Amino acid sequence: MMGYRVVKRQEPLNWGSFFIFLVALVLSLSLSGAMLAVQGKPFLKGLYLLWDGGFGQLYALEDTLLKTIPIFLCALGVAVCFRMQIWNIGAEGQFALGAVGATWAVLTFPAAPAWVLIPLMLVCGAVAGGLWALVPALLRLRLGMNEIITTLMFNYIGILLLQYMVYGPWKDPASFGFPMTPMFPVAAVFAPVVGRIHWGIVLCAVVAVALWFFLYRTRLGFELLAGGENPRAARYARMPYNFLVVFVLVLCGALAGWAGVLETSTTLGRLQSNVMAGYGFTAIVVAWLARLRIPTIAVFSFLLAGLRVGVENLQLELQVPAAFGGIIEGLILLTVLAGQFFVWFTLQPRSKGED
Amino acid sequence: MTEQKPLNKRTARDRYTHLPPVVRLEGISKSFGRVRANHDITLDIRPGMIKALLGENGAGKSTLMSILSGRFPQDSGTIYIDGAPVRFTSPADALTAGIGMVYQHFMLVESMTVAENVMLGQRGGFLLSPRRMEETVARLAEKYGLEISPSAPVSGLSMGEKQRVEILKLLYRDSRVLIFDEPTAVLTPSETEQLFEALWRMADQGKSIVFISHKLQEVLSVADEIAILRRGEIVDEFHESDVPNQKVLANRMVGRDVVLSVDAPPVAVCEKVLEIEGLGGDGLDDIRLALCRGEIVAVAGVAGNGQKELVEVVCGLRRPAAGRVEILGRPWNAFYPHPPRRGRSLAYIPEDRQGLATCKYLDLVDNFLLTTRHAFSRRGLLDRAQAEDVTRRIVQEYNVQPGHVDAPARALSGGNLQKLVIGREFFREPAIIVAENPTQGLDISATEEVWNRLLEARSGAGILLITSELNEALQLADRIAVMYRGRFVDVFPRTDEKKVEAIGLMMAGVQPE
Amino acid sequence: MYAELVIPVLAATIQAGTPILFATLGEMFTERAGVLNLGVEGMMILGAFFGFLFTHWTGNPWIGVLMAGTAAGMLGLLHGLVCQVFLGSQVVSGLALTILGVGLADYLGTPYVGVITEGFTPFAVPVLSSIPLAGDIFFRHDALVYLSYVMPLLFWFFICRTRAGMALRSAGENPAASAAVGLNPVRLRWMAIFAGGFLVGVGGAYLSLAYTHLWTNNMTAGRGWIAVALVIFAFWRPGRAVLGAYLFGGVMVFQLRLQAMGATLPSSLLLMLPYALTVVVLLVSSLRGGGGNAPAALGVNIEPDE
Repeated sequence: MMGYRVVKRQEPLNWGSFFIFLVALVLSLSLSGAMLAVQGKPFLKGLYLLWDGGFGQLYALEDTLLKTIPIFLCALGVAVCFRMQIWNIGAEGQFALGAVGATWAVLTFPAAPAWVLIPLMLVCGAVAGGLWALVPALLRLRLGMNEIITTLMFNYIGILLLQYMVYGPWKDPASFGFPMTPMFPVAAVFAPVVGRIHWGIVLCAVVAVALWFFLYRTRLGFELLAGGENPRAARYARMPYNFLVVFVLVLCGALAGWAGVLETSTTLGRLQSNVMAGYGFTAIVVAWLARLRIPTIAVFSFLLAGLRVGVENLQLELQVPAAFGGIIEGLILLTVLAGQFFVWFTLQPRSKGED
Repeated sequence: MTEQKPLNKRTARDRYTHLPPVVRLEGISKSFGRVRANHDITLDIRPGMIKALLGENGAGKSTLMSILSGRFPQDSGTIYIDGAPVRFTSPADALTAGIGMVYQHFMLVESMTVAENVMLGQRGGFLLSPRRMEETVARLAEKYGLEISPSAPVSGLSMGEKQRVEILKLLYRDSRVLIFDEPTAVLTPSETEQLFEALWRMADQGKSIVFISHKLQEVLSVADEIAILRRGEIVDEFHESDVPNQKVLANRMVGRDVVLSVDAPPVAVCEKVLEIEGLGGDGLDDIRLALCRGEIVAVAGVAGNGQKELVEVVCGLRRPAAGRVEILGRPWNAFYPHPPRRGRSLAYIPEDRQGLATCKYLDLVDNFLLTTRHAFSRRGLLDRAQAEDVTRRIVQEYNVQPGHVDAPARALSGGNLQKLVIGREFFREPAIIVAENPTQGLDISATEEVWNRLLEARSGAGILLITSELNEALQLADRIAVMYRGRFVDVFPRTDEKKVEAIGLMMAGVQPE
Repeated sequence: MYAELVIPVLAATIQAGTPILFATLGEMFTERAGVLNLGVEGMMILGAFFGFLFTHWTGNPWIGVLMAGTAAGMLGLLHGLVCQVFLGSQVVSGLALTILGVGLADYLGTPYVGVITEGFTPFAVPVLSSIPLAGDIFFRHDALVYLSYVMPLLFWFFICRTRAGMALRSAGENPAASAAVGLNPVRLRWMAIFAGGFLVGVGGAYLSLAYTHLWTNNMTAGRGWIAVALVIFAFWRPGRAVLGAYLFGGVMVFQLRLQAMGATLPSSLLLMLPYALTVVVLLVSSLRGGGGNAPAALGVNIEPDE
């Protein structure tokens, strides 16, 4: 373009990732700020409220951490899939199934003590989410069906399934017709650990360590990392590629399922439609930004969670519609994609006399 | 040696023998990094003449023609068309000037018809009439004797027919010089006949044809003039009146340089590590080979004659369609898909070291672990620390530069990457080593290092060396098998001087007597 | 009496299928040039909103349609920017586009939720609507529906019978061959992205200007994604797209009627039908070797030469 020629780099830029994110963030916030102005909202005040709402006070930080938990879990799963170049966008549906699975456990054994119920919820949530991801995995392996559309359709179906249960068989008779299950017993709620932060954060830490251990200390984990990077070399080195495809999808389903379990149990204390908050899509943004570097996933999960909480604050203070968050997230992803160009390519000025 | 008098069926050649050249290449030089692909080449291309460019792989033929067809510019030298100097910035420029190339890998839109492909990109009206397009193409094809159905989708065509579409594209654009890059590599014998007839007809109508090849028989059949390239320079030129016989051509084409001399006692008792009998299918034709521990068998031949398929079968990436393959005494089905990991294993050193043998963004330890991972795992857990130590040791032992094991494989030059791959594969103490063009793209010193390693490994394993570098085969092999069109033309010990003399011919498919 | 039941259902099917048809043809056009744009849902809903907005402002639904197409097309150009200039992944960029487009439409549309506007009203085509049966099913709709009848033909004609269409196809099948004969596949892709996006936007506009005459959140409810799947189902040919679009239209109508008739099946389960059907449709395509019909260079960015 113009007086420059695009040249592929000899080696991809290493430190680029965080710098690109910063530039992307600035760009996205500016453009989103413009959106605020369009609706007649004050631009700078809006940005301040965004920051303050997400990170400004202890209460906000707690809120942000609470939202980080489901995003983090989903993002880990999605990042693992992306590493194998499996475009799993079904985290939303897998989240929903996890919530359904946990609710089933609670409603079936309402009188069970916490030390039985909590693990049972986790198991059921993981199984439900995992199965929900298994179907697209098998469809891809056996029939070559593109996982993007199948996982996406399963999102819709999963969410509708949740709605069906909540409007129908599981509806609380005492809820005046509102679609929600009865309140969960105390035994089914994850207790707080610090302030309002519940045990889910411990679960996150455990999962993070376990995943790290799996990826860097086991042979299968190594095969996942190496094989996902280069499927041709994986074939050459006789890696269990097909098995890994199923494995990553089911793992993501289980993790997203756990996110669903936690949200149902702690944020709402019962199952209702609005447990779905789009964490599955935010997880995609995080996974793309952070790749499969676990600490980076944590950081970006935290940042994007803060963004959500900040947007809620904007909603409250300036009556900005909640969809504003979607605008920011979409813009961040687009600008990051564009920015990653510079990791792989550089611009060289065209020399005189060269056409 | 049976020498066939080539049948040149041209009728109108005499009309053109005294015309001035259409294209003159003067002093053309081109280097890629340190590799000198073309050096000070001067060549004339005359109308109505078929000129063959002969030479081994890497001699510089394709580079020269890529420059002429506008794919990339020369470093120095000038191209003259009709006496006037020109500069091409793209293949489109060259096409406008009347120079077109028919590539080995066709640039056709598979889902479109022949007529659509021929007319693609040409200026014209807004509307298209398939019928009219097909009529135009049919007329053109008839004029040059090219048999093709204009309404056929390209995806269903044979290679010969696809080639005809490429030719028609050039003819439709009134190209005066048509360059063919190894055109018969993908053709059956009868399609080759048809191509030659078409070439003669085009030449008789005044077109200039340039024909890149390494196949002596065909060159002698079809060409009016022959130019031989070796290591980027023109070493010989023959015109229609003074073309020599095949043997002379073969020798001039191949040449020979001795870099190492090897002292290798032949194997006394053969412990068979690989046995192939009657292997067929996938383009392979009744392959028979027995490889013993302690010997190197080189499979020599021009790339694309079935070597890839043979390697894939031996290394377990392709099921043998017919025949018997036994690896370390076990049939193929039993050996794969769970081959022994260490000790009695098969090591494969592929040609594509960047894309297949390694992962370029992973570090050296991860790349080392790629095929040795089982040696460092116990009950599913991977001992990366141990692997790191071993990698460090191997890196040092094999002199892989740079020596930090946490650098990505991308940072390594070709030669060092190859040494890493070799170090990795030898670590597994294999009983068979399959090495595919192991020194391709390497400089002299790296080549020597690799050769020495292979010779060292010889004592403990049987090595199958696939190479298109004749010299490499001659340096390393105990026995040489020459491969052509999916079969072994002959298998003989390196000490058989007479047969070694005839290797060039065998690689071109000529059966020795 | 039988006719009295069936005809309205079939007519409603046509209406329900029309936005999907526009969106499918639009995405198909883009994909034929080799660009995978998964942002259809975002473009469609943005089109729906802008169509509504401009009609609300000007009182003229045709201006609304024009602006709907333009807005969607411009969103598509953003995708083109990320993929063609910055060589970003077409898959991820499309997803981002959906997130952005849906958010944008929702955000900008908040003040207008529930607002009613002028729109397209059905009218009977003079002679054709008198045909028994067929006349009532096909020729008593609004202008956009009639436009949708013509679109598949126009699509086919452009792609298969014009030089420009052939050039577009070459960009999607083999950009290298396209460039080798002097065409500019990158420029061809830009044009396809915008034109395809325009059609998708028109499909969205149908929802807010004809199917209903108002704006609410989530108007498209996944129709954009169904369109993406239908392109695969249709083997990238307009004829089958018509079949697929009306199939889904039919399912949606069927589900609405069941609900209205007080069927015991809960609405949530019925609502699953279109999405489940999409999976089935893809399954069928895969069994028949569906992916093999895709434009050969679909989803592959054109990298600059060395």
